[in-house]
Amino acid sequence: MSALRRERSSTLETLSEDLAAAVERAAASVVAVHARPRIASSAVLWRPGVVVTADHTVRKDDGVTVTLGDGRSVAATLAGRDAATDVAVLRIDAERVPVADFAAAGALKVGHVVLQVGRTGGGGHSASFGVVGALVGPWRTWRGAEIAQLIQLDLTIHDGFSGSPLVDAEGKVVGLNTSGLARGLAVALPVAVVDPVVDALLAKGRIARGYLGVGLQPVELPPALARKYDPPRRSALVVLNVDPDGPSERGGLQLGDVIVDVDQRPVADVRDVLSLLGPDRVGSAVRLGVVRGGAPIAVSVTIAERPAR
Amino acid sequence: MTGRVVDGLLASDLAAVAERLRAITVQVRGRGRGAGSGSGVVWRPGLVVTNAHVATGRSFVVETGDGAVREADVVASDARRDLAVLRVATDRLPVAEVAPPGALRVGALVVAVGNPLGLSGAVTTGIVHALPAPRRGAALILADLRLLPGNSGGPLSDATGRVVGVNAMILRGLAAAIPSDAVERYLERMRLAA
Repeated sequence: MSALRRERSSTLETLSEDLAAAVERAAASVVAVHARPRIASSAVLWRPGVVVTADHTVRKDDGVTVTLGDGRSVAATLAGRDAATDVAVLRIDAERVPVADFAAAGALKVGHVVLQVGRTGGGGHSASFGVVGALVGPWRTWRGAEIAQLIQLDLTIHDGFSGSPLVDAEGKVVGLNTSGLARGLAVALPVAVVDPVVDALLAKGRIARGYLGVGLQPVELPPALARKYDPPRRSALVVLNVDPDGPSERGGLQLGDVIVDVDQRPVADVRDVLSLLGPDRVGSAVRLGVVRGGAPIAVSVTIAERPAR
Repeated sequence: MTGRVVDGLLASDLAAVAERLRAITVQVRGRGRGAGSGSGVVWRPGLVVTNAHVATGRSFVVETGDGAVREADVVASDARRDLAVLRVATDRLPVAEVAPPGALRVGALVVAVGNPLGLSGAVTTGIVHALPAPRRGAALILADLRLLPGNSGGPLSDATGRVVGVNAMILRGLAAAIPSDAVERYLERMRLAA
């Protein structure tokens, strides 16, 4: 086989070597998390002693262990979790694990080569390859977090690798991978989005988000009703579901009520309501302009905190 | 990265690897009812390695990249290893260059060639996903690379075109290949080594 030695190292070989080296560098800060039945997930050492993973892979609050790159298993304690951004933070006592190396913020472009670097339950590291498919945002997650930017990936997050870091071609971390945020699509939260969530979770263990406890759907208002408002309203939101013992039920909202405005601001889309439910609104009251049985009434609801799960 | 990829060198290098792999890849077709079909690798002069689940009949034809169709007989088959060896009555076919054992790293580029859905010489690329510890003595290379059923028995190569394994199955979306050293050991055991 030595007779077939080539004169030059091809660009393909160089790329291959570079990718393998990038994976190896990144893998030093990646651990496997054992927090659900059967299949482990991955996580990254974000700060000294602080491990960040995807919240949906952490199915228990106690008895979580992580496997380090050298095969050691150490206990982890849950510092906090946020289902809305799918981020969970664990603390571990392992000084020899190097903290992740982060890429400069804002440098990522559509088409950039990226790698997912994970750790299997057995302790070995793993990788998959792809490109940045799109940079989207601002974007609201289905659990009500407003995210400035989301990295949509042309890359497969294989089973067990949510919570692993997304790294660039140099092995530097650009995001946190998850398949639990966008209906199974492979996406990553940029480091700049994860950082403040980690700060908040380390400080308080959770992130409060406003919650009304209703299911809403846009409807078109009949012309006669629409003309009663100035300016005339074309659409509003019909109440399809009221959570028992939720804030809206306590406020007296009923199934079939049509919400026309909130604090006198017209609402035509569910997003119009969600945008009024930031962390700072928890505990404050809102006045809902409602049509019930053809007649306009007002309902006051005190915004509660969204339940953890 | 070490520098800019200029003048399409990356593309031409990949094309060169694909060409080398296509030259050593054959289409394996069984004759008669229930006979399998897939891909194979010319491993030694006159010897084609494929999967046991491809070589499920007695007699086969292999079609080479140049379109020539030749008769082939099964000389060895092992369902547990999922390996089979066919003999072809010619030693003129280009032979695979086999990568040395242990050189593969997680993240390294890999290239597969096969005949999925009757598409002859279809190329897919990806990277090594994981190199799990052997189970019951059988090692596997897991690659983040798209395989289709007709890829079975075809080569998985490194970035230089050296064969690192024989594609065998799709495991939860990952390509699983039998490492070349396992193929070599099987050939020696069957006294088919050069």
